[in-house]
Amino acid sequence: MTPNYHYPRSVIKLALCLLLALLPRPGFCNETELQTLLGRIRQNASAEFHYQEIRQLELASSPWQGEGSMLSGADGSLIKLQLQPTRVIMAIAEGHMYYWDPEQQQRHTAPLGQSGQGSELITVFVAILQGHADDLKSSYDFIPEQHGKRWTLRLTPKPEPGNEDAPTIEISGDEDERKQHVLIRQADGESTEYRLIKTAEGQPLDEAIRRLLREAIGD
Amino acid sequence: MSLVWRKRWFLVLLPLLVAVTVWQIRIESDLNAFFTAGDNEDSKLLSGLLQSGELSRRYLLVVEQANIPNEAHSTSLDAFSAKLVLQLARIEGVEQVWPANQPPREWIDALGSYAPYHARLFSLNPMEDGRELFDPVGLSHRAEGLKQALLSPQGGFVKAVAKQDPLLLSLNGFKDLKGQFERQAELDSGGALILQSRPAALDSDAHLRLQAAIRASFDSLNQSSGGLFRLSMAGVPVFSAAAHGEISQDVTLVSVVSSVAVAVVFLLLFRSFSALHWVMMVQIASFVVGALVTALVFGTVHSLTLALGGSLIGICTDYPIHVMVHCAKHRNSPLDAARLLWPSLVLGGLTTIIGYAALGLTGFPGFEQIAIFALASITASLGLTRWVLPALLAHSSLHVAHLPGIAAWVGFCARRRTLLLGLLAACVVLAGLALPQTRWMNDMQKLALNMDRLKQQDEAVRSHFAGIEPGRFVLVQADDLETALRRSEAAERRLKQLKQAGILTEYHGLFPWLVSQELQHDNVQVYAQALTPHFQEAWRAALVKAGLSVDKLGQLSPPAAQPLEPKDVLASPVRHILSGQMIEGQKGVALTLWLGEHDPQKLAEGLAGLAGTRYFSQKDQLDRLASLYRDRSLVMLALGIVVMGLFIWLQQRNIAKVLLTLLPTLASILFIFAIWALIKEEVSFLHIIGLLLSVSLCVDYGIFFMDNRGRDSDITYHALASSTLTTLASFGALGLGKTPTLPILALSVSLGVTLGFLLCPLLIQKPSLK
Repeated sequence: MTPNYHYPRSVIKLALCLLLALLPRPGFCNETELQTLLGRIRQNASAEFHYQEIRQLELASSPWQGEGSMLSGADGSLIKLQLQPTRVIMAIAEGHMYYWDPEQQQRHTAPLGQSGQGSELITVFVAILQGHADDLKSSYDFIPEQHGKRWTLRLTPKPEPGNEDAPTIEISGDEDERKQHVLIRQADGESTEYRLIKTAEGQPLDEAIRRLLREAIGD
Repeated sequence: MSLVWRKRWFLVLLPLLVAVTVWQIRIESDLNAFFTAGDNEDSKLLSGLLQSGELSRRYLLVVEQANIPNEAHSTSLDAFSAKLVLQLARIEGVEQVWPANQPPREWIDALGSYAPYHARLFSLNPMEDGRELFDPVGLSHRAEGLKQALLSPQGGFVKAVAKQDPLLLSLNGFKDLKGQFERQAELDSGGALILQSRPAALDSDAHLRLQAAIRASFDSLNQSSGGLFRLSMAGVPVFSAAAHGEISQDVTLVSVVSSVAVAVVFLLLFRSFSALHWVMMVQIASFVVGALVTALVFGTVHSLTLALGGSLIGICTDYPIHVMVHCAKHRNSPLDAARLLWPSLVLGGLTTIIGYAALGLTGFPGFEQIAIFALASITASLGLTRWVLPALLAHSSLHVAHLPGIAAWVGFCARRRTLLLGLLAACVVLAGLALPQTRWMNDMQKLALNMDRLKQQDEAVRSHFAGIEPGRFVLVQADDLETALRRSEAAERRLKQLKQAGILTEYHGLFPWLVSQELQHDNVQVYAQALTPHFQEAWRAALVKAGLSVDKLGQLSPPAAQPLEPKDVLASPVRHILSGQMIEGQKGVALTLWLGEHDPQKLAEGLAGLAGTRYFSQKDQLDRLASLYRDRSLVMLALGIVVMGLFIWLQQRNIAKVLLTLLPTLASILFIFAIWALIKEEVSFLHIIGLLLSVSLCVDYGIFFMDNRGRDSDITYHALASSTLTTLASFGALGLGKTPTLPILALSVSLGVTLGFLLCPLLIQKPSLK
């Protein structure tokens, strides 16, 4: 049985990082610039990215690789359409996470706001989606770095009780605004890496987002 | 003690008595406790389940979008429901709340704790399932499935299980649970929520507060969402809170109308506010004594006891009325009149107490309280009438109204006795012929409050849930838990077959939350045999093929040395999941397996032959109770009359007088049964109990009429008329109640006392009329 329940931090963090990664690249080197970055976080337009994913799993003998499309809606929704090695949809919309694996016939739904292990990251996720920078500061330290044309934004969980298992998130890029790199390192040693390239943006993507969301929900 | 001091003491002690009673009394409004807590095991089980069961504390909530669904419907409803879940979880009195299509978090967390015991509980039918589970051919697919699960949103959970149980065997037994939630997900568009409350199901006040808080929470969230949603609620607490409201209204209405009606009748009869005031104080004292004694005996007093006890005011007023009528007509002092009538009053009171005692012996739990209440109230009323009332009325001027028609009816009965007796005899024959048409009520539900609106709402809400049927389940009983679990597992195997045959949609058993030692042993045997070197090698090959770590997942561990102990399971949060499914009593253990939609007859037949296992229907049990109570009521009616006759004989020592005294009562019983038969009234035990009450009153009339201590039958019949009027006023008020119990009693008692009163001068010839 694969139970239908809360999503672990890895999934939430993925959503969070991808959203961050899909943002227009900022330039920052101090608190003011960071505030400017966070102020620009909100997604105002729909966008589509091609992604490559590499996961280091504790129980896998070698890194797992996948690729597909990532669609970000202006309303804060996010669709991850994995096409290789198998077709899988993961969607975040209206405070819920939806998962649909047609090959394994596995469908899951869970509210993002359910309390528990990933609740803090969910709060961060929602805060980022809505551009509430002040909410983020209570949970994560934001460390911006810039070396020449390369930039990096590192999100480090604050060393507080209950935050021990939170992952470290690193988003980086260069002068090519279409490309971004996201690295998520979990406390247990597992990691997930995304390489993203923006392929399209604008309102026409909304229909595709709705369609994939319906498929993930099972409507 | 002088009359002055008696009055002073009464006036000092009455407020103290009221204060002690208010401090001591705890009022209960649970109809189930009133009706079903009986003296047999099934009744106790039923009552216990209703009162404390986990399912009885469960609310079913449905949030629906007011508008026609659009493309964004599902997601926005989901989002609203998710926010509502968070808000509701913060309400005091809410133990847990979760979307119906997903198990609560603690259920999932509990699954992880079963991983070390995977070899002991992977199947209910290990021999049968083992062939597929340990088939080396399917291992590649299983390894691939494990990898996908590790990559899925549940990866963290699956990883923790797989480290101890690489084949995920411990999750196999929970497949059915997953299926239940999947069926719910198909049925539900996201707005179905389950809320587990903290207060006991029958703590109506707490549930009223909780329901108000739930609605307030919803309204506030809905307002901020533009008022797009509506909320419906169902569940046992919704019904119990509504019943509480209805019964409270009934109690208030009956008490007020009964008191006012008795006061009005009293004023019309005696035209003295002073006398009314003192008599009412005597009645209040009697009522308070009844309530206090009941509270001390039972711990709580049911609100229906107070409602029916309120009607006792009409009966207890009879004693002062007799004294006052004789006092006014004969110009005696109240003290002399009380002394003169005392033997008749005691005998009348005694027969009434016998009637109520018989009522308490019918086995109907609520009436045990009423019997004690009546015993205390009537005793208090008699004592106060004899020793205190004369002191209170010492300075009151009493006049009694002449009731028109009383003397005429007595005279008419005397003049036309032969004709009237002939007519009566004909009526007796006709009544006897009508008796075979009597219809008995066998459905206890007809006695419940009419809650059609709530029932419709309940049905509508339940249509959003693929859950169990309320009130019908499989009951497994045994002397100890291990035997009960073995029997329960046998029943689950049978239920599985019935489900496959389409007789049952689903069931909630105890496997694999709790597994018998025997089944654990069987699982271990199959696991140990299957774990051959060939199988282990095939598993490792499958892991390699799937790209999973052989080092970490390739070693299939031997079975856990220690079995999974029920006490350990029940010490964990699993006890919440199983709450309401396990009842440990002095006579052993009872387990309940909840059922989905099913065919009762085929299901009961399907369970035939299983030791200690049977199909239990709450409705059938209630109906059986109704029949049982009815039969007992009939026995008690007969027994009550015999005992009353015996007491009358002890006083009169004349069998003819005893028969004459009882004759109006017996005739009225016969006529009432005939009337019910002719109007096709379904007769329940409550009808019989009402008759029993009217018998105890009618016998009083016979006693007073026969005894005629004032040697003036006109005065005696006036006193009886006054008593009849006050009794009709108080019991008639019961007819205003919405609880069906009350109108039935009102009808039975009113018919009984009216016929009994009218038949007295016709059938009792002894007194010489003035």
